Amino acid sequence: MNILFIMDRRANAGSIQAIASYVRAGDDLGHTIALYGHPDAKYAGIRWSTDFGMFDHVVFVCEFGLGWMSGLRMSRILSQVPRGKRAVLDADGMYNPIVSVDGYDRNHHNDGSRVFWGAHCDALTDKIFQPTREPIQASVIPVPFYGYDSALRLEPGSRPKRFDIVHVGHNWWRWREVSTSLLPAIERIRRHLDGIGFVGLWWDMIPAGAREQNLEIAFGFDTEWFRRLSIEVKPAVPFTDVVSAMSEGRVNIMTQRPLFRRLKLLTAKYFEIFCADTIPLVMLDPDHAESVYGPCGRELALHGDISDKLLDAIQKPDKYQQIVEEVRRHLGAHHSYHNRTHDLVEALRA
Amino acid sequence: MRLLFVSRLDRSARAVAAITRFAAIGKRLGHEVAVFGEPRQDFESVPHSVDVNAFDFALFVVYEAWDFPELPHLAHLLDRMPKERRVIVDCTGTYNETITVEHDSNHLEQLNGHQGWEWVEGFDAVAKKVLQPTLTPLRNDVGSFLLFGYDPLAVARPYRSAQEASKAWSARGDAGKPHGIVYVGHNWQRWTQLRRFFEAVEPLKDRLGPIQLRGWAWDQRPDWAVEHGFAGVDVDPDLLKRLGVEVGGPIPFDEVIEWQGRARFCPIFHRPLFNQLGLVTNRTFETFCSDTIPLLMLPHALVGAIYGRDALPLAPGDDVRGRLEDMMRRPEVYWDAVLKTRDHLAARHSYERRFEELVAALES
Repeated sequence: MNILFIMDRRANAGSIQAIASYVRAGDDLGHTIALYGHPDAKYAGIRWSTDFGMFDHVVFVCEFGLGWMSGLRMSRILSQVPRGKRAVLDADGMYNPIVSVDGYDRNHHNDGSRVFWGAHCDALTDKIFQPTREPIQASVIPVPFYGYDSALRLEPGSRPKRFDIVHVGHNWWRWREVSTSLLPAIERIRRHLDGIGFVGLWWDMIPAGAREQNLEIAFGFDTEWFRRLSIEVKPAVPFTDVVSAMSEGRVNIMTQRPLFRRLKLLTAKYFEIFCADTIPLVMLDPDHAESVYGPCGRELALHGDISDKLLDAIQKPDKYQQIVEEVRRHLGAHHSYHNRTHDLVEALRA
Repeated sequence: MRLLFVSRLDRSARAVAAITRFAAIGKRLGHEVAVFGEPRQDFESVPHSVDVNAFDFALFVVYEAWDFPELPHLAHLLDRMPKERRVIVDCTGTYNETITVEHDSNHLEQLNGHQGWEWVEGFDAVAKKVLQPTLTPLRNDVGSFLLFGYDPLAVARPYRSAQEASKAWSARGDAGKPHGIVYVGHNWQRWTQLRRFFEAVEPLKDRLGPIQLRGWAWDQRPDWAVEHGFAGVDVDPDLLKRLGVEVGGPIPFDEVIEWQGRARFCPIFHRPLFNQLGLVTNRTFETFCSDTIPLLMLPHALVGAIYGRDALPLAPGDDVRGRLEDMMRRPEVYWDAVLKTRDHLAARHSYERRFEELVAALES
């Protein structure tokens, strides 16, 4: 099957890593998979095409915003791709009723936004995929989408360790968890730790326009607290460098938006972090961690006494490396991009 | 002709003045003109319609990607109007190879996320025909259609003679004009020219009277431009302060003619890209409806081609200060140029002429 993805391409955010992995997996399995656009050196490993006629299906990978689906872009697509060949991957759970988590994170700030999103998707296709096993809407098709790409694995010792703890991810609806759970836990054990690095956007500033869009709350930060804890903020890295950046830390912490945890939406980060030469600790409840990573995943869940777990992982790397290897085997067996490609092809055929 | 405009109307930007005039004048000429969409309270006098089948042609007036309707309305429109009857008026020359002039470009990917090929292939997918508001399109497959025009009935004070105009213009006190110079336009790819203009008129500021800039982002560079290092929305508040320039927000399209008439002079600037491509704008023509002396800060060839030879005295070229001094010394000479240019515009660039040109272009 030939599949063309269309998305708001960003080299340092979103689902671009997944697309590169789909291209590789597709080649292995005899499918031609590409991303809509012309070749661009910033996106290594991506196959590009604008020739709709070459593809059996077009999959729109949608995140929070729809601004990139401009009328200019969509006019060409609507004119040349029949409705039955289109599908939407709703990565951020927007094709849902309003879901608000503790009055903080939410998919829509009002009903107008929800209706707009729904009308947009309904105008495009009958096939809406979400990367969760438990969609809320009966009409939504569960497609895990994101997976584990062993080709991205970095071997032990391939990167010098500059940090004890690294967090790679943009500050987007993460501050409440970081400020109420993670930073207090780090503060308690700070004297036992070497460097700490936060890699990504918006850990030291709010992007222009956030206030006007009533999104300031999604970008909370506290520069003074970071300074007190000697946390180094580093700029976002392109997707080709994510695994390498993670590998600079003995331990990596994965946080997820509260909304995503509530909807059990998978992201690329769930799997990228296991490609890095590091010990991943995931801020998920143990049941959730087990559901993705297998039984050993429980051991890597940062839940409850975070300070103790962090220290334990840093002080007993051999013990945790064994757990991580076990999880990698689980991911290779159940969450590879070969599996994901098979799932996607089936969902598109159905 | 039943003509459906497709564009995003904004009360103080882009082609709103031209589209509303097409609606009003079209009705007078026996055409049916509407804008695609549900009726809007802020445009009560402009007919809107989503009954696509009731129209002969859809005329997309495009500045930005968002001038195309969003889903689901876009699908509704494309399903019901065959491509053969869809025409695009490309107001910013995007249907070309990428052209960069200073920090202006027809493909501002950093701003709108679209690469050059998307504009060209997108237009090819939407419409059978692309028109550009320039006398000199670069591509052979693009037609020339200026879109914007001059409406003699909109002239604020239709003087009978240059002497009468000059006398009114030179009045002092309560009967006089409160401003020396007013520029109405957004801070978008114009600052380099405005800076040169302001520096040239600085020695005259006490004789000219107050200067006013009205439009978006003249008070400071917007945060997003600073954050992304985006040039083209520059401004120098210190220079404006030194000249005592008053800055203020945009003027709604239906108040611009009157507002500009509060000043003795109104410069007309086009973006660097527009100067290169010969693209005209609403302001190219509308400024001559205001009770002011337009200053044509435009390429010499464009002035001759659009306004005619009589307008040449209104183009200061490199000697802005000298020309303004002469205008203040001999206003009658320049009002004579204004009135003759108004006649030229009425004969060659009225909306009635635009309708004839459009019908010919659509039916060719």
